[in-house]
Amino acid sequence: MGLDELLVGPGLRFLAMNLSGSCAIVGIGETDYVRGATQSPAELILAASAAAIADAGLKPADIDGILPPANYLSNEEIAANLGVPNVKYSVSVLMGGASPVASLQSAAMAIACGVADTVLVTFGWDGYSAFRRERKVGPRRQQAQMPFAEVSRNYYAPYGVRSAAQWYSFYLSRYVKLYDVQPTDAANIALASRRHAHLNDKALMRGREMTLDDYLASPYIAEPLRKLDCCLETDCATAVVLTSPERAKDLPHVPVLWLGGAEGHPYPADEITNRPDVLRLGLHTAAPTAFGMAGVKPTDMDVLEIYDCFTYVVMMELEALGFAEPGGAKEFVANGNIELGGRYPMNTHGGLLSQGHCWGFNHVVEATRQLRHDAGRAQVPNAELALVTGYGDLGDGSLAILARGDR
Amino acid sequence: MANTKYIPRPFGLDREFFQLAIRTGTVHVQQCRACQHHQHPPRLFCAQCGSTDVGFVPTANRGEVYSWTVSHFTTDSGWLGDLPYATVVMQLPEGPRLVGAYRGDPATLEIGQPVSVHPEAQSEDFAFLWIDG
Repeated sequence: MGLDELLVGPGLRFLAMNLSGSCAIVGIGETDYVRGATQSPAELILAASAAAIADAGLKPADIDGILPPANYLSNEEIAANLGVPNVKYSVSVLMGGASPVASLQSAAMAIACGVADTVLVTFGWDGYSAFRRERKVGPRRQQAQMPFAEVSRNYYAPYGVRSAAQWYSFYLSRYVKLYDVQPTDAANIALASRRHAHLNDKALMRGREMTLDDYLASPYIAEPLRKLDCCLETDCATAVVLTSPERAKDLPHVPVLWLGGAEGHPYPADEITNRPDVLRLGLHTAAPTAFGMAGVKPTDMDVLEIYDCFTYVVMMELEALGFAEPGGAKEFVANGNIELGGRYPMNTHGGLLSQGHCWGFNHVVEATRQLRHDAGRAQVPNAELALVTGYGDLGDGSLAILARGDR
Repeated sequence: MANTKYIPRPFGLDREFFQLAIRTGTVHVQQCRACQHHQHPPRLFCAQCGSTDVGFVPTANRGEVYSWTVSHFTTDSGWLGDLPYATVVMQLPEGPRLVGAYRGDPATLEIGQPVSVHPEAQSEDFAFLWIDG
């Protein structure tokens, strides 16, 4: 038995043979990324979905699977509005910001098994307007209850700890202490994202210059997170259409193959502080599965689209993925390594930090553009392989390894 | 009052956890009678051996700092006047960790710093855990 087989094992071998490459992204759609949308989340989600179906060269009736964002718009409402008469598969993943990339795995399973042929995955929300009184459109929908609501209500919220920045600081504070990570390290990620956003017409922060001094002057939200370490509250929607590689051959765009993916949950997932090691994320367990399934290594990647709710979380993700040893991500993100022109261009659209926050599904849209060689001024030359991650709730993780397919 | 701190109404085992701390002044955590494993927050099963024979045992109310969050911004009006405030993760020698509000200087927090926990009843069913360094 060769080393690769030892690393892979029978379970992964099954996934590599039956799931890897079983579907391709053939259509993408996105709205503008705005603060204060004049359209409701429902309208945004439908607009992005219709755009993705049209981009795929398909009609709504060709869709037979729908994965909607929990509680923002149902499969039933999407089908009724767009005209999808025969939905054979629908599910919503409840992993916060890890949901979109984990949904790709669910779509791949449905397509590989023949449960559905052509699947629409969509996310959208009023991530800016929902938190403001002057919101322009309704109705307000209740977000799906967080899977950790009971723990949060009894053990965190009484102490004024109610936001993602505060929850994650329970581990980020320890991370920066143990590994001596400095604000100037995290700044590399914020600044790279901003530079990339200047190249993207759809980036909220396009044209808004940010210097290291601006970054260091930005106020703390929850240490070590400053305001400029945090992603943008955004109203927006995105959508992706996936189908089998065979069917993709007849469609207009170069297919983008889903080579592998996985989801992972830290343990226990509903409570941060009693994990044996609070620095171990869901992505730590998911990453080896996805790479093993895809038969590629982190060093094979041409483009990285890493879920960047917060800069320091990106560093922990890069380590979980195997790009650096624990504590080593600060070197990985230095010296332009993650900028266009560097070895691992990251968040080439500006990311959640500087394009906008669509649950990270905008990362999948951007990875698809990169692999189609249709990313405009942000194009990574000859990109063949891209890595996308999701991260959400109290450290859940997901990833997808995407490859440029053949025409 | 807008600046009142939020007091949850816990149910079941979470309520038992707080009621015991209020009644005795000592934080109790779960211990499995079958395998002796300690765990927190309370669960219906022992997460180590699967037994449902899990009860509460007293702690020494002492431990050390494992990690923390220092908040400089809050959406919680009850804590607005306390900014910046530290919420400490306290490692108990029994194994579990507690979350509580730190009454010392957030700027001097260190991993491993000795701390103690003091429950303060806010209702019949809930106590703040104050952590002192």
